[in-house]
Amino acid sequence: MSTTTAVRRSTCACLLLLAAAALVLLALPAEAQQAAKEPAYRQFPVLGSRLAVWAVAQIHLNFAAFILGVPIFAVIIEIIGWRTGEARYDWLSHEFVKLTFAAFSTTALLGALLLFLFVGYYPKFWAFMSSIFFTTYWVYALLFFAETFTVYLWYYGWDWLSGSRKWIHVCLGVLSNLFGTAILVVANSWATFMMSPAGIDDSGALKGSVWGAMNNYAWMPINIHRLIANIVFGGTIAGAYAAFRFLSAKTDEERARYDWMGYIGNFVALSAFIVLPFAGYYLGREIYAFNQTMGITMMGGFMSWLWIIQAILIGILFLGSNYYLWLGMERIPGAERYRKYVPPMLIILTIGFMVWATPRSMVITLDEARAMGGTHHPLLGFFGVMSAKNTVVNLMILTTFLSYILYRRANKIPVASWVRTGMAVQWAAFGAAAAVVVFYGVYGYFVESIVRIGFSVYQVGAVLGAIVVVMAIDVPMFKGARSTGAIRWGTIAPHSQYVLILLAVTFTWLMGLMGFARSGIRQHWHVYGVLRDTSVDAVTPALGYAANVITVVTLVFFALVMFIFWIGGLGEKGQAGAHGHAAPVLAGGSDKDD
Amino acid sequence: MRVPVGIKVGAFAVVVMSGYSWFANSIPQIESKPPEELSLEGGTVTQAQLVKAGEQIYHTKGTCEICHRIGQKGTRAPDLAGVGARAAKTKPGMSAKAYIIESLLQPQAYVVEGYPPIMPQIDKPPIALNRSELWALTAFLQSQGGTVDVTLADIPATAGAAAAGGGAAAAEVKLPGDPKAGEAVFGGKGTCIACHKAGSKFTAGTVGPDLSQIAKIQTPDYIMKKILDPKGMGTVAGFPPGVMPQDLGTRLAAKEYVDLVAFLLTLK
Repeated sequence: MSTTTAVRRSTCACLLLLAAAALVLLALPAEAQQAAKEPAYRQFPVLGSRLAVWAVAQIHLNFAAFILGVPIFAVIIEIIGWRTGEARYDWLSHEFVKLTFAAFSTTALLGALLLFLFVGYYPKFWAFMSSIFFTTYWVYALLFFAETFTVYLWYYGWDWLSGSRKWIHVCLGVLSNLFGTAILVVANSWATFMMSPAGIDDSGALKGSVWGAMNNYAWMPINIHRLIANIVFGGTIAGAYAAFRFLSAKTDEERARYDWMGYIGNFVALSAFIVLPFAGYYLGREIYAFNQTMGITMMGGFMSWLWIIQAILIGILFLGSNYYLWLGMERIPGAERYRKYVPPMLIILTIGFMVWATPRSMVITLDEARAMGGTHHPLLGFFGVMSAKNTVVNLMILTTFLSYILYRRANKIPVASWVRTGMAVQWAAFGAAAAVVVFYGVYGYFVESIVRIGFSVYQVGAVLGAIVVVMAIDVPMFKGARSTGAIRWGTIAPHSQYVLILLAVTFTWLMGLMGFARSGIRQHWHVYGVLRDTSVDAVTPALGYAANVITVVTLVFFALVMFIFWIGGLGEKGQAGAHGHAAPVLAGGSDKDD
Repeated sequence: MRVPVGIKVGAFAVVVMSGYSWFANSIPQIESKPPEELSLEGGTVTQAQLVKAGEQIYHTKGTCEICHRIGQKGTRAPDLAGVGARAAKTKPGMSAKAYIIESLLQPQAYVVEGYPPIMPQIDKPPIALNRSELWALTAFLQSQGGTVDVTLADIPATAGAAAAGGGAAAAEVKLPGDPKAGEAVFGGKGTCIACHKAGSKFTAGTVGPDLSQIAKIQTPDYIMKKILDPKGMGTVAGFPPGVMPQDLGTRLAAKEYVDLVAFLLTLK
């Protein structure tokens, strides 16, 4: 069978699948009407309805995050390749889109399965949601078609739209991202309405247009948070894929190629990850603005320990990302100059990790509590509050940014006449940001909580300001810099690749945990304060149970990903590169670092 | 033997995630259970029972403890120790029970100085306490240093009218039953009249709770299940358990059952 025939067949199969999914979507109002005559719930065999919906929703969201996140940086890389004329960027962009493409139909299938579960096992809930959001189903279906066709054209038109027509191809990439983001935004309105319903009257009926329900408190913060998180997720999964290919590589050339791909994946993930906590603050603030009780339940109620687990996971992500950069510097001639910075950075990250993971109340026996004078430790208790945690997370972000800056200049010596001044201003920016962060962190202990919450804005502003200032100086300062030697791609320590896999696994697990938090704060409500969960599953489970579910679901997700990537790779056996994209030769070195 | 990369990577991922699961299982395990409905209307309840029921609501369904403490100053809300005595002096001309009830139903009417106006109306979703629960909670708060003198009549009749199932759930229940025929079932084949009062027509029953406002204080779901499984739905505080016949649902024809529920839903 020729490649063209295979492509046509797979295209037809995918289109049929998508058409079927769209028909199901558009048939839902009829299902919803039928639901009004049916019982409120049905019981899914063996697993129970909640677990079934939970598992399928999480896997669907993982795939959706991947296929929406990866194209964002794939098109940026393609633009870099187009403008610089470097073929390796075009190859990398194609490689990323290939991964997305392989996961596309699985995402659609899981979405359809999730829909069946809602309609079949939660008919009353679905009837209610349809009574509010029916018009958006049409918008969603149309966007889905538009996204599908654009991505198909983008992927299969890679060769056809090259050369002088490359700009059209780039536009297709941008367009597919716009459609993808629009899909995300529509779907987010449904999920956030369940958290912070708006635009309805006391009986639950829509008051005005559907826009009132869409534009609820949590909608915009979730849109921003998910968009950024999708980029991080896409970066970590692409990095893990590259790590797997690196570890399986038979030649130095292949190893070099996937070392570079892994580095780019980690770079993308890290760049977006640095700003993710700020989006998280915004989301938290809007949840409090919607309903204080919900906010307090989330942070101080039965979910308070969830944030300790989150802190540990984020600490691992910070440490892992930095460690990968430090290992990567070992393959860059000239990086030895910066080794002395690693121990202090490691100390800051470790202390930050420990403070962030310190709980406000200790898990102790009654005797221990009596001896300590309560559940709050007399010294460590000070690290359990938000003032300490905001301070250390901002310092960890600054430290990670410093790691990146050192990596970036590892094999470069600037030759600009104003280097000394530039360096001094950069260090001053770092110092000033750290001082502002620490000052407001300490001051926060002496003011009321309502004032303290506002301090986090100053801390975040100082860190973002430092990042902007340092980068604004760094880019022109290192333009035309003297090289101390080429990066020896492919020679990085093999255990660095396990760090990339650790990052992917941890971030995926973290997404599952945050999904549980977002859903769990509704407690026994399908739609908070509007439609109560009266099913046998109305209990919100404890963290241990949730963690076990997240672990199993994440394992299933990775098993599916590996299977899909394996299937996707079968078509390329024996080929130099798909669609004529011969892989670039990187072994032997390149002094380009990004 | 060389271990395939896929096995090594897979094992690594399993170990990492098992570690996360292990940690999550080693910390305090707290479930969030949906609150149970409390009904005291029409029943004989002692002051001690009322205060105890109120304390239970304070710790659970009322979610008061998220912000308030007793005997400990909080940053979000005032210490409730001694509130029963303090409430009588907070607003001139207003009794302790009137102030407490106002604080629960219209919390923004008077905000204690130094605290943010964040308290929700607790008879509205998502907390949605019913009249009985408001009564019990008021009694418990009065018992903190004051004298318990609140009666059910002190709680406004409109309070707690929001359906516990949420507005959407309330709106969607439209039973095909005939309330007039249901009234006949109540007084006849159903023999409900033997134990329950219901409005001005049925006033003799005293063994079970007064159902004159049952549609206001309970969800349709609760009423339907209570007829079919009285034991499983629990006994209203202050009444003897096991009196309501367990086979009532099976003795009624389907139409009679639906008619009876339709009648009970008119009792507001």
